[in-house]
Amino acid sequence: MKVGFFVGCNTAFNRPDLEAAVRRVMPGVGIELDDLAGQSCCPTWATMPSIDTDGWCAVSARNLCLAEEKGLDLVTVCGSCYGSLSETRHRMAEDHGLKDRVNEILAAAGRTYRGTAAVFQAVYLLHRELGPDGIARAVHMRLNGLTVAVQPGCHSLWPSEIYPLGEADPFHPVVLREMCEALGAAAPSYSRLTDCCGMGGMRSTDMEKSFALAAVKLRSMREEIRPDLIVTGCSSCLIQLDTCQGPLQQKGVIDFEIPVLHYMQLLALCLGAAPEEVTGLARTDVGKIVGRIRRDVNA
Amino acid sequence: MSELVNGVMHLDRGHEDFIAEIRGLGGTELLECIQCAKCASVCPMALAGFPFYNKRVIQAVLSGAREVLLDDASIWACQSCNRCTEICPRRVNPYEVVLAMRRVAVREFAVPALTTDGLKSLYDYGHAVYLRESGASRRKVGLPETPPTVLADPAALAEVRAVLRRTALRDIGIIPMDGADKGGGV
Repeated sequence: MKVGFFVGCNTAFNRPDLEAAVRRVMPGVGIELDDLAGQSCCPTWATMPSIDTDGWCAVSARNLCLAEEKGLDLVTVCGSCYGSLSETRHRMAEDHGLKDRVNEILAAAGRTYRGTAAVFQAVYLLHRELGPDGIARAVHMRLNGLTVAVQPGCHSLWPSEIYPLGEADPFHPVVLREMCEALGAAAPSYSRLTDCCGMGGMRSTDMEKSFALAAVKLRSMREEIRPDLIVTGCSSCLIQLDTCQGPLQQKGVIDFEIPVLHYMQLLALCLGAAPEEVTGLARTDVGKIVGRIRRDVNA
Repeated sequence: MSELVNGVMHLDRGHEDFIAEIRGLGGTELLECIQCAKCASVCPMALAGFPFYNKRVIQAVLSGAREVLLDDASIWACQSCNRCTEICPRRVNPYEVVLAMRRVAVREFAVPALTTDGLKSLYDYGHAVYLRESGASRRKVGLPETPPTVLADPAALAEVRAVLRRTALRDIGIIPMDGADKGGGV
């Protein structure tokens, strides 16, 4: 299988260790990546979506064109990219007038949007292509004895009708838990599992409120399941939960730190990737987890 | 539905204009709202304590409180998470009303730096989020300094700019859009 990798701004510039993890994992499980050279911002919520629907869809459609011109689908590890590309794709499929107007705009770029490429979130694509059993067979190192708290990410779940691969009940998601369990970890539920991390427009508008929201989530994890690690399905959740804990500790709001990795980083580690390449930009202390994973294989 | 709204809210002409404005900018199902608050029950903004989350934005629109909404930053804290879209029993798509209110605000130049900076970055670099210093961290993890995006491809960036110049962004004029490239625009 070959798929276009939509890297997205935050992964490329903020957490390129996650980009490195994707580039390590996908070929490692038999999925070839195309760079979709010339891709731009998806774009998300505070920019073109806040201007109008036609312009939002036009910028997104140009990105989708890059994949469909090659006969490929797209995969991303960013919830915002996944949400924006999926929402615009859905809107243009439902509203042919919109699609026509978008193509009038896209003529400026010499492109025509047809709507033939599907958009996938990486964890769900791996769940479909390999499933938990295939993942368990693919990895050399496992997470036996570790407990993880999963953070699937809003844009993988809602609105469920626009996503090609999803959950039976998006308010009680299980896919990321199953995929972590496939690596040998316990991934129990906790009461704030589907709560928003507070990243995005909220963090930009009011960082105090955003971090307070994250703190509610972190305390819920800590008190209910005492996780060794947080595992996200979304790059924005990764950035928020990884960067909020330092300031929250300094302010005395929390008195603990839970390391945070995106699922693709965790999977890369379990496939034997170099830790400094696939987790090297984490602010939380992921060293202990990395050591634990690599010690298990040495034992 | 509009008669019921008229009956309950005693809309004057000004309110009707505002409602038409919101519906014209994407909040098409606004008048289906019965203020049941299911959207509020799942909204991260409500949980985080912002004064105007989905239900209250709709209520404010129906009440004609345009200036109040323009003076409050809440709408920009919406996470676009679509929990409300999922759960609304009347298929109002409350998120679309919040987006529509942002579009009203943009046209009044009541815009946070997040949006103007993001749009300017989108036009200048093809990425709404672009960290100039990212080359070093990319190198650190074994990746090329520049990702294989518009950043590495001037012709692709020219395409994105040409597309942006054909959108409403050009007419609204909140960012300068006369870049150096001359390709393809109108």
